[in-house]
Amino acid sequence: MSGIVCAVRGGAASKPTIRRAVQLAQESGLPIHFLYVVNLDFLSHTSSSRVHTIEEEMREMGEFILLTAQEQAARGGVEAHGVVRDGSVGDQIVALCRETEAQYVVLGRPRHSARPNVFDEERLQRFVERIASQTGAQVVLVGEDVP
Amino acid sequence: MKPSRGWQGALLVVALAALWMSLPARAKNPGVGGMVVGGVFDTQGQPVEGARVWLALGAEGGTTLSETETQPDGSFTLRLPATIPYGEPQSAPEGQTALRVWDDIPSGAAVTLGVSRDHFETRLLPLSGEQMETLRGGEILELPPVALERHIGIAFWTASLIFIGVLLLIASGRMHNTLATLSGAALVFAVSYLGALLVPDVRIFGFEAALRYVDWNVIFLILGMMIVIAVVERTGIFQWMAYRAYRISGGRLWLLLPILMLITGVASAFLDNVTTMLLMTPITIQIALAMGTNPLALLLPEVFASNVVGISTLIGTPTNILIGSYAGISFNDFLHNLTPGVALAFAGLVAYSEWVYREELHGAGQASPLLLQKLSERARITDPDHLRKAGWVGAGMLLLFALGERVHLLPAVTALMGATALLVWIRPDIEEMIEAVDWTTLVFFITLFIVVGAIREVGVIAWLAARIGGMVGENLPLAMGVVLWSAALLSTVIPNIPFTAAMLPVIGYLTTTIPGADNLVLFYCLSVGAAMGGNGSLIGASANLVTSGIAERAGYPVTYKEFLKRGLPALLVTVGLAMAWLWLRF
Repeated sequence: MSGIVCAVRGGAASKPTIRRAVQLAQESGLPIHFLYVVNLDFLSHTSSSRVHTIEEEMREMGEFILLTAQEQAARGGVEAHGVVRDGSVGDQIVALCRETEAQYVVLGRPRHSARPNVFDEERLQRFVERIASQTGAQVVLVGEDVP
Repeated sequence: MKPSRGWQGALLVVALAALWMSLPARAKNPGVGGMVVGGVFDTQGQPVEGARVWLALGAEGGTTLSETETQPDGSFTLRLPATIPYGEPQSAPEGQTALRVWDDIPSGAAVTLGVSRDHFETRLLPLSGEQMETLRGGEILELPPVALERHIGIAFWTASLIFIGVLLLIASGRMHNTLATLSGAALVFAVSYLGALLVPDVRIFGFEAALRYVDWNVIFLILGMMIVIAVVERTGIFQWMAYRAYRISGGRLWLLLPILMLITGVASAFLDNVTTMLLMTPITIQIALAMGTNPLALLLPEVFASNVVGISTLIGTPTNILIGSYAGISFNDFLHNLTPGVALAFAGLVAYSEWVYREELHGAGQASPLLLQKLSERARITDPDHLRKAGWVGAGMLLLFALGERVHLLPAVTALMGATALLVWIRPDIEEMIEAVDWTTLVFFITLFIVVGAIREVGVIAWLAARIGGMVGENLPLAMGVVLWSAALLSTVIPNIPFTAAMLPVIGYLTTTIPGADNLVLFYCLSVGAAMGGNGSLIGASANLVTSGIAERAGYPVTYKEFLKRGLPALLVTVGLAMAWLWLRF
């Protein structure tokens, strides 16, 4: 086991998740692999053929968002990498866990919101079980104690 | 040997005689039983195309002497043959198989002109004695315009329900725009072909009649512009310009904001707003993150600017393309009549945005040297060769858009020529270019024209026009206010493209009935209202949804309430200023 996978989206909601990952890295001495997954679902109501245009832009934006997280990690004296992927968020988290032999996965809990979230509470619990069974990594939901 | 003068004179006479004989008869129509010409219009004076017009013996149901259909301008020409075969052998006199027009018709016999068309009341007009004599004399009988009354039946309500259903599907986001209009068009045909087998009155129109409502000028203009945009958007010009804006502002957010708004607005005036925001939003978020500020303080004013400034040219928004094609408003007309008003509205929008986001713009954000360094590395023109060529072709297209009207060059033709020239010049992967064309949008427009054509066909638009006409009377300022503000407010909740497409004939009617409106001012009001109204709500414009979608993926969600709070005052400011300009201008 050699890393911490932390999926981030950016913005204020991701800050506690990033802080927790940095804290965990400081405690365990493991490097962090920040993950941003490009998701273009919002184009489904507009022009689908613009996907080729926006995909590269979204990747660059994702890299930029990860740089802000990496900056924060660097300030905490922690080694951090940024990974941008396309596709399903769940599949990409699992894939990165396997590639990096992750020991921990840090995820933010969904907040109560009228807007749809990638993981609602029920799906999040199912996903935590899936990560544990498929990768052996321990999932840390922000707000819970690190085991 | 030179011909003598006598020969020359004889040749001239023969040539003139041949020429005279080859000319179509103007006053007489020899060889046939006469000719009747006229025009068919609805009660609002609009030409009725495809109406069946016939001339029959007797008051009703007699032998048909001749029949035809009206042209797109409502005109018809009935040619009476010299003889007409008898329909029933027993009605024919012995030894005679055909009715000799006029020879066999007693001088006192009644002849009736009939006019019928789906969704109109049939009219039967007996010819007067004087008119009959004109025909008998072999002359051309020119009839006064025939007015047809609308018939409001089951087809009227069916088409209305289908149109409202399509609007609701799009507005609610339950179905993709194209799928919604495609379903609507399919339903119109299902009702017209299959439903009419059970209930004949439910028929709206057939396939060929439906195609008459498709504005191919709009389709090809959008297609041509899509190809040009597909080349430009891959050159990195937007990223480069946004970074230049940051450099020019020297990191002062209050200065960066209007520069980014101007770049977005000008780009939207030549490209479609969705593409502009797709390209501007990610780079704007990166600039904001690098400067340590909330990206929404830059993004929302940008999308407002896109919706406002996009209408300053004919090609800036789909609604302008629709309006320009329908009303014959040229590229130059938009520049002269709308661009100054748009500039005024833009100035108001900048002032409003500076005030609304004063805390974010004047707050002390913590800029990140690492991120700024990364930003400068990325802000580069990725394909300078294509950009240079696209620039030359774009300049040529603008010139043709501006000058083309003098030689009746349609904007669609200019766009297609420009797109083709660019493709030939840069020789891109043609498969990639074909993929870059947004076919779903083209299908959306074609099927939208059919659905809107259905409500025009059955008289819904004429009914609406009559009601609005009755409300505003002959008061032009009132009509301007009603059109502009109703378009603006309705565009916040219903999609502005179908709305505009449906309103065009209504505005066309008001333009002919209200004194002083023949300068097309009401079309400009529709343009301003439909586009700037998009700022009133998150669902008011596709560019809003794209911007909020990208912002959400960066962790900065835009709620409906947040957008309304910022967008509605922006709508009031910009529409108010644009209206002031239109009042001054017209």
